[in-house]
Amino acid sequence: MTPILSLKSISKTYGRIQALKGVSFDVPSGSVFGILGPNGSGKTTLLGVVMDVLASNGGSYSWFGNAPSEKQRREIGTLLETPNFYHYLSAQHNLEIAAAIKHKPVDDIERVLKLVRLYERKDSKFQSFSLGMKQRLAIASCLIGNPSVLVFDEPTNGLDPSGIAEIRELIIELASAGKTIILASHLLAEVEKVCTHVAILQRGVLIKSGDVKSALSQEEWMELGSAEMEKLKAILDRLPGVNKIISSGNHFQVYFNSPSPDPAWLNSHCFEQGIALNYLQPRKESLESAFIELTNNVSN
Amino acid sequence: MRNFLHTLRVEWLKLKYYRTFWILLSVIIVCIPAFNYVIYDLTDNSFPKINGQNLLGNPFSFPNVWKTVPYDAGILLFMPAILIITLFTNEYSYRTHRQNIIDGWSRARFIYIKIIEVFLLTVFVTIITVLTCLYFGFLTRTPVQPKAGWQEYRFILYFFVEMLDYSLIALLFAMMIRRAGLAMGIFFLYMIIEQFVVSLGRNKYKVTWVDYLPEEVSDRLIPQPFARRMISPASTSLWEKHVPLYLSISVLYIIIYIFIVSWRFRKADL
Repeated sequence: MTPILSLKSISKTYGRIQALKGVSFDVPSGSVFGILGPNGSGKTTLLGVVMDVLASNGGSYSWFGNAPSEKQRREIGTLLETPNFYHYLSAQHNLEIAAAIKHKPVDDIERVLKLVRLYERKDSKFQSFSLGMKQRLAIASCLIGNPSVLVFDEPTNGLDPSGIAEIRELIIELASAGKTIILASHLLAEVEKVCTHVAILQRGVLIKSGDVKSALSQEEWMELGSAEMEKLKAILDRLPGVNKIISSGNHFQVYFNSPSPDPAWLNSHCFEQGIALNYLQPRKESLESAFIELTNNVSN
Repeated sequence: MRNFLHTLRVEWLKLKYYRTFWILLSVIIVCIPAFNYVIYDLTDNSFPKINGQNLLGNPFSFPNVWKTVPYDAGILLFMPAILIITLFTNEYSYRTHRQNIIDGWSRARFIYIKIIEVFLLTVFVTIITVLTCLYFGFLTRTPVQPKAGWQEYRFILYFFVEMLDYSLIALLFAMMIRRAGLAMGIFFLYMIIEQFVVSLGRNKYKVTWVDYLPEEVSDRLIPQPFARRMISPASTSLWEKHVPLYLSISVLYIIIYIFIVSWRFRKADL
């Protein structure tokens, strides 16, 4: 299947600073593609290049398998960096401009404003909006005309916790509707909950890309506790495939060579061995830890 | 054509509810006739009349008015320049120049519609100038004057070229500097410095190349219209001889400004 976006050796310099160094990857159709990296890693620059607001110094890219054009950008809802609107115009009038540029019907404005809970403020001027409201208006603008591809650069900037959760839900909802979403963020916990694929950038270099599981192998372990900790330790020592056991106060962290066994099996196994567990919890390394580990390895 | 009108409609949506735009436009509409009225009043009442004839001639009666009003309006060309700088730097301040491209305009479309807006504003101000000419021409009701022909009407065309020249310099400054206050400051500074260089070059160093500087050359298309009787025929004839050159160089500057503005916007990081 033709990738939605294909990058080939994209490079970009700002004077002597190389912001992107030969970045190449494909964004598959229907994926939620996270572009990850710390501040200054080149995420926004990369999106700026593919949205034609920054001129690359080398390489090429294609949208929907074709050379980039203004018509293609009309089919992509993009929030890049900050919400950019005419301060003296109302939310409604700003979205009318966006709809006109995208060649989308003005009737759709009511739907998108309701979706981001700004319909009641549609006649308020943009300059009177809070940071979170501005961000929500920018997301509304992206959704005009129901585009099949969405590009969000730090979409939860300026939002409160409930706003962040709402945007996360919206992204999941859009993804389940079959839309391709490209999401640049440095908030890994946010990305972890929604992304199917990732590209990891560090100082303009692509470290890894692909589906989340293969790009970021996250270590798994099991936590077990019992009233009889010594007896439990003896049982765990005899368990096949155990790599290491770490005592952590009132429970053990058990790491396996192969994927962790089914918790139900482990529980019944311990019971059969004459011990009742009072704590059993499968654990997985956070994306953040995996990311830090990966970027540290590359730095070293 | 449909595409062009659609693009123009988007620009209209940006301006329709922008109060500053309407205020600045109203100031221009009011100031051109008002400033001319001040000059008219001054020339009519502040100079002695010899044998019932004004010392400065009848600059506001037909057909002289076709020269006088564009000359006076030319002094006010900083006003549309302020409007152009305000509108263009707004796009940079709000970063909407980026958003318009992201949403689905090409860079070329964005910059060409801005240049077309400058043309349309120039046409509009030229129409105001023509209406002002007619107003004063009919107001003066001076004794029979020779009928106006191309010799007089051409000053409307020269005014159009002069304003386009000033307006495109303003657009260029707005694009290079990106901040409204700074761009206006540098635009005014440039106007003053150029006039200083022209005065110095012409009067002290007796060089002629200063006549062809960007604003001076278009200013020269409309010579000052007052007391023409006191100006030697040789000087008028010399000006007449140079008009095609002034016009060509002014148009050349316009082409250069359009080229720089569009080339830079199409190639630079936004």
